[in-house]
Amino acid sequence: MVAIEDIRSRAKELLEGGMVRAVLGFRRSSAGLLAEPTFVVASEDVASLVWDATCVHNLALYLVNEKKRQKAERTPDTRPLAIIAKGCDSRAINVLLQENHVAREEVVILGVSCEGGGVVDTRKLADALRGKEAASAVCDDTGKVKVATASGEVTFPAADVLADRCLECTIAYPSVSDTMFGEKVDERGFTARFAAVKSIAAMSEQERSAFWDGHFERCIRCYACRAVCPMCYCDECVVDSTSFIVSPMTTAEEKANRIRWIQRSTTPADNAMYHMVRAMHLAGRCIDCAECERVCPVNIPLRLLNTSLEQEALEMFEYTPGMDPAQPSLISSFRDDDPNDFIR
Amino acid sequence: METILKKERLSEWVAQIGARATVFAPAFADGIWNFCAVAADTKVEFDHGNTVRPAKGFVFPQREVLYRFRQESGKAPELMETLPAAAPTVVFGVRPCDGRAMVRNDKVFTCGFNDPYYQARRDQVVFVGLACSEPPSQNCFCLSVGGSPHSEDGLDVLMTELDGRYHVKAITAKGREIVEGAAALLDKAQAADGKAAAKAHADADKHPQRALATMEKVAAGLKEHFDSPKWDELARACIGCGACTYLCPSCHCFDINDEITSNVPLTGERVRTWDNCQFPDFTMHSSGHNPRHDTGARLRQRVSHKLLYFVENHNIQQCTGCGRCISHCPVGIDIVRVATEVSGQ
Repeated sequence: MVAIEDIRSRAKELLEGGMVRAVLGFRRSSAGLLAEPTFVVASEDVASLVWDATCVHNLALYLVNEKKRQKAERTPDTRPLAIIAKGCDSRAINVLLQENHVAREEVVILGVSCEGGGVVDTRKLADALRGKEAASAVCDDTGKVKVATASGEVTFPAADVLADRCLECTIAYPSVSDTMFGEKVDERGFTARFAAVKSIAAMSEQERSAFWDGHFERCIRCYACRAVCPMCYCDECVVDSTSFIVSPMTTAEEKANRIRWIQRSTTPADNAMYHMVRAMHLAGRCIDCAECERVCPVNIPLRLLNTSLEQEALEMFEYTPGMDPAQPSLISSFRDDDPNDFIR
Repeated sequence: METILKKERLSEWVAQIGARATVFAPAFADGIWNFCAVAADTKVEFDHGNTVRPAKGFVFPQREVLYRFRQESGKAPELMETLPAAAPTVVFGVRPCDGRAMVRNDKVFTCGFNDPYYQARRDQVVFVGLACSEPPSQNCFCLSVGGSPHSEDGLDVLMTELDGRYHVKAITAKGREIVEGAAALLDKAQAADGKAAAKAHADADKHPQRALATMEKVAAGLKEHFDSPKWDELARACIGCGACTYLCPSCHCFDINDEITSNVPLTGERVRTWDNCQFPDFTMHSSGHNPRHDTGARLRQRVSHKLLYFVENHNIQQCTGCGRCISHCPVGIDIVRVATEVSGQ
């Protein structure tokens, strides 16, 4: 387990030296167990930074959001942003670099290895605790999670409370960093990669269709999955009404007849269309931080959708996203020996 | 009108009502608690904290067809009325915060202008509340916003769990109707039962909750600090999703769109759907200008609407302290902390 003091002292150096405009990390939250994202701008506030199994968020998202924010500022602070990144988060940064969405000099990456552990899944934890509330959750080097509750401390095996993505993770250390904390641990021995998605692959087409219909039906289209995704950075999204540019010359008829690929109504068809569009746009880009699934208030297993595409990219094109910003992207590259037997 | 229902007879009561109305009760499915239609012969037990989706959908569904239209080329359009033919509906297990939110929704949809779609559903629904014996969520703060774990506001019936039985109090005429209709199942409450319910309520009040300053102080503080830089600071981590407002029992903003089903002849529906002040396009002008251009401005709108503007307009807070927006925020944005920090209270 990486010591938070090491991260704090590096953060302090960066802030005191004026090398970054903020250190983006995690702090305790008043809202519950999970840590929350925080922008530390004053060096004396580095003491608020925490590091444990509740630091679930993929902070790479804020590289995208801060870019939009800076665009609106008259005199933006152009110093880089320091960001605490787990292995998965660092792969998201790599994809953003690869897609030229951010430049390498705009970010200082404080990479943190999860070593033999990972982050908690609050839904699993709620089940494991049977209604008791967790006050803290810390992972040891073997993946066991120590959880403090009002009635004492309980230790759970990794499989019971760690997020599925952590159990399946094979690269639990940063792929890119300026400073790295912790050791690279390759042997984690939880479950095989793509273990969760296998259950979906085993279903018949009809079963799979019924499975997803059942889940999409309860979607409320809050777009938390889209908002939390670092790869969903489009200025205009097909589901938003702003994707139709209205000028003084636009006639009422044009406005009425604009193409709406996806209606605002939460009908099963519109909901399914929204999720399919998002999944397709993430093929070869999703790095499996599983934030979409975590933030879904109605518990739609969105990770399964994205990992099934991730698995296809790997099996068909030997492609793993986020390993190297210089790698050609899946969608915009080809090799002579790419499989093509699906073209008929 | 106060009665007593033995716990083991709850399912019977539900089944009896189910014979002439659609009954909903909290059920745990796909990892979340939600109001689900109760099928015949289903055993109903109250074991829920609070539902993820609030009860507002029963009167203000996420999608409501306002009317249908049809226009043959060169002719005048025809409009077809689609007022909801709402069937009698009884919702069990409504927490008092959701009941109080209904009072707020009534103010918006039925005071001044009577929204016929809302009213048609409201007239047909009976809310059977369940008092909280302890806070269902660690983010509950009903006591701080003028409510209580056993508030009767907006409910038609209030049930309070006692030892092996429920104290069932009919509050409105609609509530009396379903209680009187079950005279064989419900016994008249004795003085001791009334005392036991009062004690359960008093005990529930003693559980610690999240705390917010008084309505007046918070409202005055938010008004004074409208331009506070804290809004931007607190909203810097906001990702701009709509979980907070879609899960809010009293958020009521909507959008209206035409959904075209055919171009020749032109047919379709005019549809009202929930809208969300946290989405950038909520305030987007057709010129491209957006007066609430960032997450700070949008967070200020949400919190101020709940705790300042609604107070100015109706002299009550719109927020009823259910805590859903806190518990379900992907990044821990906490209305209690935001209101406290900005208002300086």
